[in-house]
Amino acid sequence: MVVLVAGASLVAVLATRPPATATEVDTPLLGQHAPLVDGVTLAGQRFSLSSWRGRWVVVNFFASWCPPCQQEEAELVTFAYRHRAPGDVAVVGVVYDDTAARARSFLSSTGATWPAVGDPTGQIALDYGVRGPPETFLVSPGGVVLVHLDGAVTAAGLDYWLHRAAAGSK
Amino acid sequence: MALVLGVALAVGASGHQGPPTPAQRAAAIEADVRCPSCEGISVAQSSAPTAAAIRTLVAADVAAGRSDGQIEAFLVGRYGPGILLRPSASGGVGLVWFVPMVAMSLALAGLGTVFWRRGRSAAVVVAVDDEDRRLVEGLLAQRRARRRPGANRETARRHG
Repeated sequence: MVVLVAGASLVAVLATRPPATATEVDTPLLGQHAPLVDGVTLAGQRFSLSSWRGRWVVVNFFASWCPPCQQEEAELVTFAYRHRAPGDVAVVGVVYDDTAARARSFLSSTGATWPAVGDPTGQIALDYGVRGPPETFLVSPGGVVLVHLDGAVTAAGLDYWLHRAAAGSK
Repeated sequence: MALVLGVALAVGASGHQGPPTPAQRAAAIEADVRCPSCEGISVAQSSAPTAAAIRTLVAADVAAGRSDGQIEAFLVGRYGPGILLRPSASGGVGLVWFVPMVAMSLALAGLGTVFWRRGRSAAVVVAVDDEDRRLVEGLLAQRRARRRPGANRETARRHG
């Protein structure tokens, strides 16, 4: 009986943990206004993060040569599809130390359809305090960085952090 | 010879160098900033993309007239205080430097006090009165008498 209760408790605890290999990072940006993500996308269009004010945004720094980025890309596609309704949480990628051609090929091969902004000087990565990809930031509708994740994210993990951030910001 | 050497060293150490050039300033800052994606090396030593981006930022900010403190504050605001290879002496981190020095000073002061008090107690003079003196002189006289050769025979003859 004791073993059963202990097992059930363990399952309950594990079931409520964020199921992701990414780890939440405590950085000075948390609670601060999100730095600019301004530039030209891989599709050649101008992009500005401020134009998405009013909705939750996932800012994902990635590179085609980065194995955890390759691991998480399918998860990001799943997450983006799950939240495809207009006005729902959006995803924007930022290319980290990669060529436009390779980054474009990487995204298209995984079915990613969200905009990805080039960062040839590394200034956007610097503004976000990125050490190396993949790193993901959750930005609130008010433009505040609420979560910083280091490592490969999963769709379920992003949903968990999105839900927690939304509950905390009410 | 020693005098000549001393003067030469003093002149060399105090030689007029002038303010650092922008390149020198940037190099000094880059040597103090940790490469975010590396282990324990500065952005000056690293070829990582983040290090290159920080070097670019530092050079641009130095050229724009920003102070070392402003540049470092920006990086700390992005990466946290650990981005600096040189730990800050302010705030709680300063205690790491301050507490051992204070503890050592207190320990030395305590040891000094203990030794000083021991020295004082060894030098304390006990007041001696006349009766004590007569007692001691009498005992000393008896000892001298016992040590003199023939003293016992003479004592025995006197007291027959």
